[in-house]
Parts: sequence; C-alpha cells; structure tokens
Amino acid sequence: MSDTSQASVFFQGGTLVLQHLSASEQVPPPFKLIKARWRCEAYHYGSLLPWLREHGIRNDIPRWRHLSLALYETREPHDYQLAALDAWNQGGKRGSIILPTGAGKTFVAIQAISQVNASTVVIVPTLALLHQWYARLVNAFHIDIGVYYSGEKHILPITVTTYHSAGDLISEYGNSFQLLLCDELHHLPAKTWGEAALMAPAPFRLGLTATYPEEQEQTNGRWRVDELLGPIVYTQRIESLVGKQLAEYRTQRIRVDLTAEERRHYDADYAIYMGFVRSRQLRQRYGAGWHRELMRLSASDPQARQALLARQRLLDIIWSCEEKFAVLDALLREHDGERILVFTASNAVAYRIAHQWLVPVISFETGVAERKHILDAFQTGDYRVIVTSRVLNEGVDVPEAKIAIVLGGGSSQREYIQRLGRILRKHEQREAFLFEVLVRKTIEEGKVQRRHVPREQR
Amino acid sequence: MLTSELIRPRLRFAGSTLSIEMVDEQDASLLQTAQELIDILQQQVGHAREAWEEALAAYEGARVDYIVLRGLAKVLTDAATFTPLETPFPPARLREQLFAHGPVFRDSDLFHPQTRQKVLHEAAGEFGLSSEQVDTMLFADRHASYRLMDVGPAWTPAALLARYNLELARGVLYWASHITIEASSSYKDLWRYIKLFKLMFWAQPKQGGGYRIDLDGPISPFVSSTLRYGRQMAAFLPALLLCDRWQLLAHVRPPQATREMLYHLDYTCALRSHFKGSGTFDSRLEADFASEFEQKMGNKRGHWRLTRESEVLLLGDTVMIPDFILVDEQDDNRKIMIELVGFWHPQYLRRKIEKVRAANCAHLLLLVYQGLNITADAFQEAASEVIFFQQKPVLKEVMETVEHMAKRVYGPRVKRKRARTPRSAPHPE
Repeated sequence: MSDTSQASVFFQGGTLVLQHLSASEQVPPPFKLIKARWRCEAYHYGSLLPWLREHGIRNDIPRWRHLSLALYETREPHDYQLAALDAWNQGGKRGSIILPTGAGKTFVAIQAISQVNASTVVIVPTLALLHQWYARLVNAFHIDIGVYYSGEKHILPITVTTYHSAGDLISEYGNSFQLLLCDELHHLPAKTWGEAALMAPAPFRLGLTATYPEEQEQTNGRWRVDELLGPIVYTQRIESLVGKQLAEYRTQRIRVDLTAEERRHYDADYAIYMGFVRSRQLRQRYGAGWHRELMRLSASDPQARQALLARQRLLDIIWSCEEKFAVLDALLREHDGERILVFTASNAVAYRIAHQWLVPVISFETGVAERKHILDAFQTGDYRVIVTSRVLNEGVDVPEAKIAIVLGGGSSQREYIQRLGRILRKHEQREAFLFEVLVRKTIEEGKVQRRHVPREQR
Repeated sequence: MLTSELIRPRLRFAGSTLSIEMVDEQDASLLQTAQELIDILQQQVGHAREAWEEALAAYEGARVDYIVLRGLAKVLTDAATFTPLETPFPPARLREQLFAHGPVFRDSDLFHPQTRQKVLHEAAGEFGLSSEQVDTMLFADRHASYRLMDVGPAWTPAALLARYNLELARGVLYWASHITIEASSSYKDLWRYIKLFKLMFWAQPKQGGGYRIDLDGPISPFVSSTLRYGRQMAAFLPALLLCDRWQLLAHVRPPQATREMLYHLDYTCALRSHFKGSGTFDSRLEADFASEFEQKMGNKRGHWRLTRESEVLLLGDTVMIPDFILVDEQDDNRKIMIELVGFWHPQYLRRKIEKVRAANCAHLLLLVYQGLNITADAFQEAASEVIFFQQKPVLKEVMETVEHMAKRVYGPRVKRKRARTPRSAPHPE
C-alpha cells in the first residue's frame, strides 16, 4: 500500500473502519470496500493486529481497561479445572472449554477473568443465569458488577448481559471489553444470538458449554462457532463428576373449595368460556392451537371475546381464591422456622402475599442487587420465606429451602419438575415437602392430572 | 412505540408486499373513543400507573376492537410521565427492615405473638412515619406504583388517531433490514436524524433533483438481512415525513412472514410528523445575514438570489449542507455556497474544518468568526474561500468575493438580453 502514515482504524457499531485510506488502496481481506469505506466485522481485531502494526496504522479501537482485581474465591480448584485454564492460556486466551453440567464452569471463568485482569463482558442465555453470574462475580471480586438487560443497564468494567441484549451492548460499547465470555456457547449459532460475538473486537475469548454444537449445527450460513471464539481447547466428558442426588421428598396435595360466591362467579364464567369452545368445536378443529385461534377470533367475534374474558376471570378466581390464602397462612404458621418457597401463578398474587405476610418477593421487576440480597439473606436465615411467580424456575440453587408451596402455575411439565428439583437438591439428610394447593372442581384439577411426571424423572 | 402484539394483527399481506391497516382519522366513533381515552388519562393525573391500567381495562370491557384501544392507550402512556412517589427512605430499606420479621400474621397465637399490625407499627416508629405511610411506601418503587404526573402533549382526538397511525407505520419498520428512501428537500433535518439514530446511509443524486438514500447499519453488509436496526429505522420515520416529496421502500420480515416482504410509503399518505423541523435559521447570525441581504441586495437589486439549504454536499459517508446558496438569476448553474461558521464549540469546529477540507469545493465560501481560535491555516488545504469577520460579515466584502469566485469557477458572466418582463415583477417562486 502507498502512504498509510495518516491512516487509522476505529470501532463503529460492531465493525472496524479504516480512515484516511482511499478506495483505490489495495487493502487485504477481511476488509471490504463498503460505501467508500474499508470495513470488516470487529471479531477480526485480534488477527489483524500484526497487519495494523506492520503498516503503522493508528489503532483507535481499544477502550478497555486494565483492572486490579483481587480474587476472593475460597473454593479449591479441581485438577481438571486447572488443566482447562492452562489449555486456554496456551491457546492465546482464545477458545472453548467443554465441561459437564455441575463441573464448575463458572469457577473456571472467574479464574480466567482474574488472569486477564481487564474489562470483561459475560454473555448468558437467561435472566436467571444473569442473576446467578452477577452474584458469583460480586462474591468473587468484591467489586460492583455491571448488568445489561431489558430491566437494568449499568455498564461497568465487568458486565453481565444476555444473548438477547448483547447485540445492543456490543454494537455501542463493544470496544470496552478485552475479554468476551460466552456461557452456554451452544446458543451462538441461533439466528441473532451470534451477532454480539461477531461485533465484539475483544481479542481474548472464552466459550463454555456442556454440549458443543455438532458440525452441522455449527454454521448457520453466517458464522462458525470456532471462528468466533477460537477452537475447543479442553474437553472433560465424564458426566458424573459431581454427584447430585435428589433428596427424598413427599408431595402433599391440598384441595380447597371456592366460597359460595366464588363458585357462582366461577360457574357462570365457565359456562361462557366452555360453551363457546364447545359450540365452535375449537379443540376438535384446531387441536393444540385452539387457544391461539380463540385469541385470534376475539379481535373480531364478540362471543369469542366474551369467552376469552371469562377464561381470564375464572383463572383469577382460581389463583386468588380465599381458601388458598387461608391454607398458605396455616402452612406458614405450621412450618415456622423452616425455609419456604412460595410459588404463585401471577405477579400480582406474589406481591399481594409479600405485602400481607411481609415476606420478600422476587419477580422480573426485582433488580439484580436486591435479588442477590434476598437470596443471600434466605441462605443465612435472615429471611425465612421467599414468594415468587415464575422467575426462579430455571437454574437457581436454593438448597436451604426444604418446603415449597405451589399456589398455582401452568401445566407445563418442565416447570413442575424444575420446581421440584429446586427444593429437593440434596442438602443435609432431611426430607423435603412439596405442598400443592388446588381448587376442587375447577379446571385446575384437570391441569394437574394432565401433568403426569414419569417416575424415573423424579 | 407500539408492541409487536399491537401491530401484528393489523398487518396485511398481498403477494410480496406488506401493508398495515390504519384507522380512519375522521371516523366519528373512533374520534369519540379517542376523546374518552384522553378523558380517562386526564382523570388519572396524580394517581398510580396501576390505576390507569385498571381504568383502561374497565373501559375496554368486552369490546372486540381492543387492539385499537390498547394501541391508542399505549400512545398516550408513552407520551405521559410517570414518576416514583417521593419517600423519605428508599422503599428497599423499609422492606429489608420489615421482611426480617416475616412471615407475620393478622392475629397472634402462642408461637407468633407479633401481629402484622404490631411489626408495621414498630418499624414505622423507627423511621418516624405512620403505619399507613409505611404500608403505602413498601413497594413505592414498583413501576405500577409510579404516579402519573404529566399527560404530555395537549391531546386532541384527531391528533391521537394521527399519532396512532404513525406508530403503526413505524411498527412495520421494526422488522426492516434495509430501507431506501427518496427525498428532495429538508435535507438538514434528514441528515441530522439519520445521524441521531446511528444509521448509515449512501446517497446518490437523482435525475431531476433530490436524492436516493440507502439506509442500513454498520454490520448489515456482513449479516444479511439483520433486523438489528429495525428499531432505529422505525424511530427515524417521522424525520422523513418532514420532507415534501418523499418515498420509502423497506425490506421487512415480520414474524409471521415466511420470506422477505416489501413495504412502501410515500408523501401521499396522510401521516404527519411530530418531530420538529429545524427553524428557518440555526442562529441569529444566519438570520441577520439573510435579512441584511434582503434589505440591501433583495428585490432584484443584484443579480443573485439567496436560498436556504437546498443543496447537499456528499462527502463519502457524511454530508455538508451549506447555510445559503446564491444562485445567479440568469443562470441557475452559477451557484456559490455560503457557510457561516459562528460561535461554536471547538469540537464542532474541528469536524466542520474536516468536512470543508473533504469537500474540496471551489464554489464554497466560508464566513468565519474571527473570535474563534482558528487561523486561515486551518482551512489551508481546502479549495474554499474564507473571509474572517469580527461582529458580523460585511455584506459588501462578501458580495465582492462571490463575484470574484463565480468568475473564477464559472468564467465571466455572459450578459443576456434584457428579459421582456419588467425587472420588478415578482419572481415566480
């Protein structure tokens, strides 16, 4: 190339852009001439560094910071965790580590962050995992940790985000992070979820998963996982590294009745709702999609609209009928001193319980800091009860809970098993209880019957 | 902005084109509905957001046009301001204090001597509040508890319907990967908003005037049909409406579509912008210059006509829109552009100088305020002429330079025969 003394490269919206290099120059790939500018995806940054240096092109990309992290991790690393870290370091701090579930992926990640000791972004698939990572990172480094998701946006040198929000974060602040950490990296081939890794210039990259995508899942026509993160550097496939037995538990169903007035309303609404569903033969005609059809009809057909509203009202009756609260009151009294989780079907009911019994509530509105505080205080016993709607469903460990009270919820089997699993994680040799409160002679009983849990899954 | 479930039911598919069903802004019953919603909102001032939502649900009842009702309500909600109740202590602190006692019960028994009322009362005492206050403040930081403080613009039913239609059109663009627009005026606003929404553009002049502009985002060329910039494109739409004659073609892929669809809009649609076009003048300096020109040179006292910002200098991925263009009355091709560089922030000025250099434009005249800490050196590499001024540009000096430049750029002025029409006749424009 001719004169590059004025040339520089900067970060813009997930791309690297060359400045003061004219269109007539011979600029090598991956740069492409797009709308009169030489441009490429930001993930090429690491591999472009030698070329930039060779041509004396000013590098305006990095905005990341060196940190002085102190590690407050008290757990002793396992040999395989150290081996995984070594392999990643040897690979130039790029690449993926495959560890079975429960083998301490987060632990390895925290060691990696501490070794890089610079601004890091952690991308996770679910909000539950975001909360979990937040708590682990705060405990590991004793510094403020940033979070970036629909509910809160605080960008700090170490920030946790979701694949869903990562694109926006990286597009704007991609050059603020030197280490890109993708948890559950098998989500990267998904339609837009890989875009963040594509748009980040971070030269150091770490992918974590228990299930690396198969060859045919690797490419979605746009990017390959190993191209975005580097190759697999370590694999540990022993599935039972950490034994996780479920404690013995008992399920107790408690059936309650509606009051006379609740029953009158319920029956009236049920007649409207089921009358419509039956008269139009929605179930026969639309199979599993009958409910969606009802929704669609309700925007034009007054009867369908009435049916839909009736359904909403009868669910409200089931979810917040008087006797359920009476049973809750009694159970809370009887199990005084125990750690109890209360599950509700709706947010409104969860807040109502929190307000009435003065117990902490965790909902999608709860910020990361308060959520961590509640879970920590539950662990120490300062809080004895947590009420929640659906947000605790995945991946959060509350081993201290020995009693779960389910006041309502969907019929999805997965949700049910996860709720069970939560309180049944083995912790001390104590029997756990699951109380399920149901309303007699309502659609709720039907739901429970449909929810058949096979024995081997218990 | 409207949520996806309020837009999807109104999408209409026909072959590869997509449209969205808008509402009739003159429809009497819709106007009444709009009025009633506005009334409800106004009654809710000072109350919790939750109450506004309950009032809406009550109003909605069993009406089947609830998609429209919720859409109108969303427009009202978005424009309104809800603020958290002011509390002497953060609600989280109250919760921490109280929840340490939970669970508590209404009545005491042998094992639970503390009733809810008693716990509340004691905590209230510690905070110097009443029990009722603590009760209300406990979750005051929930969005549902925020108070409606301001309804936003002075809504009229017609304005609400118009705005709803605009939001529907914007909604389609959520799923846009790429849009092409054509426009032929108000560029300054257009460029300003394109920049504001962090879009990238590529403009080409059209035959017969105006520009054809391709809009996408930085990563678009590498990730085919990404919907990443859909929200920005939706946000940008009102800026396009500020132009006189415009059209838009968007490549969109809404969730229920199996392939890419085309969405077309142009100036014949009834949509109106709620964005503000920039005023006639950006600064006092410009206004003064224009009025002095009008006084001394206007009304055909010279052979130059002063126009505002109708030309765009395309500079790669940026643009420059000079403040004024002087056009020779007898020959439209003889143009001198004038850019006033007044009292500006140094950073703005640096960018300006870079733009001028990049423009390398011989028919650009810069009028630069002397007080600014720049010298002629700064503009050295630019082909443009520069005149420095103290308080305001001296019109005489400016016009002399203009004549000089025109001669240099376009050659000597050819005197045509006098037109038949008397010179004092108003210009057809």
